[in-house]
Amino acid sequence: MKTAIVLVIAVLAQAAGNTYLSKGMKELAASTAHGDQSLLWMGLQVLGSPVICFGTLLLIVFFLLFSAALSWEDLSFVLPATSLGYVLNLAFAHHFLNEAVSPTRWFGTALISLGVLLVAKSGSRSVQEALGTTSRVGQ
Amino acid sequence: MTFLMLLTNILSTSAGDVFITRGMKQVGEISTLRLRTLLGIAVRVLSNVNFLAGVLCMAVSFFSFLTVLSWADMSFVVPITSLAYVVSSFGAKFILKERVNPLRWAGTLLVCVGAALVSLP
Repeated sequence: MKTAIVLVIAVLAQAAGNTYLSKGMKELAASTAHGDQSLLWMGLQVLGSPVICFGTLLLIVFFLLFSAALSWEDLSFVLPATSLGYVLNLAFAHHFLNEAVSPTRWFGTALISLGVLLVAKSGSRSVQEALGTTSRVGQ
Repeated sequence: MTFLMLLTNILSTSAGDVFITRGMKQVGEISTLRLRTLLGIAVRVLSNVNFLAGVLCMAVSFFSFLTVLSWADMSFVVPITSLAYVVSSFGAKFILKERVNPLRWAGTLLVCVGAALVSLP
């Protein structure tokens, strides 16, 4: 249960973070289209954009929760599980950024969801330990 | 050159995953929400060699990704980099000695193919 809660929050933070970052970078590109394009100036603008900073903060939250989950759960479980973020990212991009989503992409998200379902059914470490079928990672 | 940079990206992503997992397992299960304890854990994490190596690998992964994006289309690059899911799972099995059952392999493969499809236009 702990794993599920942490991973759901992590994936939500990642998808929201990417959406904010994308929104911020697009706004930035639109506002600097005619002006100074030097890398330094772009860097300063990035730091000065609340939308981009908030997006980055959310991605840091994702990384912290991802690392925390890895402190008790298998990598081969956490990694595919967090790929549900792809599905959320696509939904967010479609809903909040009005991006067009091709049938290929929706099909891809369906495959990812199915894959995550299989990985979840393969049992988390805590479930495997309860069943006594896992070997401990050398610590 | 593009191929080499893609290979660098996939290998550094997977190495980063494996190092970070090993570091976090050494630090031990985080099972508290008390701020003071969490701060102590943060210090232990940030002084863990494996974790730091993982972060370094992630940095290499990030910059190799940016570099290769400047050479090739994103719809070509991202599907290939999703191979990192499979490589990381091999790392989990053979380096971290995790037990990866057939169901988990099947799920990981589906995720890999799905991630590739999602990034096609």
